[in-house]
Amino acid sequence: MQNITIYIDDKKLEVESGKTILEVCRNNNIEILTMCHLEGVLDVGACRLCLVEIEGVNKLLSACTTKVAANMVIRTSTERIKRYQRITTELLFAERNHMCSVCVANGKCELQNLGYKVEMDSIRYPRLFPQCEVDTSHSWYVLDHNRCIMCTRCVRVCSEVEGAFNWSVKNRGYQVRIISDFNTPWGESTTCTSCGKCLHACPTGALWPKAIVQGQLDKKPEIIEELMAKRKMGL
Amino acid sequence: MDSKKKIATVCLGGCSGCHMSILDIDERILDVAKLADIVKSPIVDGKEFPEGVDIAIVEGSVTSDEHWHEIKLIRKRSKFIVALGDCAVMTNVTGMRNYFPLQEVIDEAYKNSVSNDAEGAEPNDPALLKLHDKVVPLQEVVKVDFIIPGCPPSADTIFYVLFEFLNNRIPNLSEVNKLKYG
Repeated sequence: MQNITIYIDDKKLEVESGKTILEVCRNNNIEILTMCHLEGVLDVGACRLCLVEIEGVNKLLSACTTKVAANMVIRTSTERIKRYQRITTELLFAERNHMCSVCVANGKCELQNLGYKVEMDSIRYPRLFPQCEVDTSHSWYVLDHNRCIMCTRCVRVCSEVEGAFNWSVKNRGYQVRIISDFNTPWGESTTCTSCGKCLHACPTGALWPKAIVQGQLDKKPEIIEELMAKRKMGL
Repeated sequence: MDSKKKIATVCLGGCSGCHMSILDIDERILDVAKLADIVKSPIVDGKEFPEGVDIAIVEGSVTSDEHWHEIKLIRKRSKFIVALGDCAVMTNVTGMRNYFPLQEVIDEAYKNSVSNDAEGAEPNDPALLKLHDKVVPLQEVVKVDFIIPGCPPSADTIFYVLFEFLNNRIPNLSEVNKLKYG
């Protein structure tokens, strides 16, 4: 691969072409906030937290899905970006019912940590309080739509790493939901292999094993990258 | 002694857990007492919210007509309102009834509950507060000046905020790593 010159936050960098802005930033210790990005699976640019400013482009672009180009001038931490990150985080919290104190993921939740990162002390938007289902039909696992932020990490892990294609997405806008098979209870799924990868991929308390109680969740999203590497090697 | 600030603490729609956390500041309450008088609190005497309060620390969300009037009164009579705890800031557990119609929630608690004897009855004494359809955080009713999230916020956090305010400094929870939900 050919090397190109780009500028990130006034820093000149020599990088390989073909990489995404997010990859380059992570390799150079430049912090980019992400929620839907998961090492090991493809990026979709769903969460809009990794938005960056690129000189000459009017709108903000997601760092995870935009590839670097020669002489690109990128800014990752302007006041405008920080403002958008805070807004996005608050909207993630406002859309469904995130009650940290009674959530299994309390203390180990990526959404909670994101809130601390963007210094969110309250939610300025009226919350929707939708009536969400909790699918407990699976023998070992639970899907709690109240805590889901629609990052679709479970969907991608299920199709790309496990190859089971159990998870999918229905509807649009605020009615969007994760579904099992053709919108049937998870416990009745004919495709789910009960491998549990989606539980580790999930950044919040939306997917969790029944064997744990409040605040005891222990997720290891980093294993997905390992598993994907093994899969590519044919192991 | 007039330079002493006046602090009031109030519990609206909350579980009093945040007030337990206030009590957990233990002997540091003496440092607070040097700089301020606690003029109204569930732990001191006095019924009505007094006038001329400098810092009002309010726990819990607005769930009923009584809370709504109380928080309006608190806003009128105090210079500074601190929203204490997740319920006050983002409704938290008290807001979990927001996804159901109010009547369904009341029936579930007083009529359909398995622990009820006979058919159960809805409490309807005129002295009782009237529940609103939806629970809202304090900021949706009045202007809130400072926010301490957490369920409950730790005693250290509460003391840090109080001490900074009493020494005429503005606290910053992010800066000292004390931001916490749940």
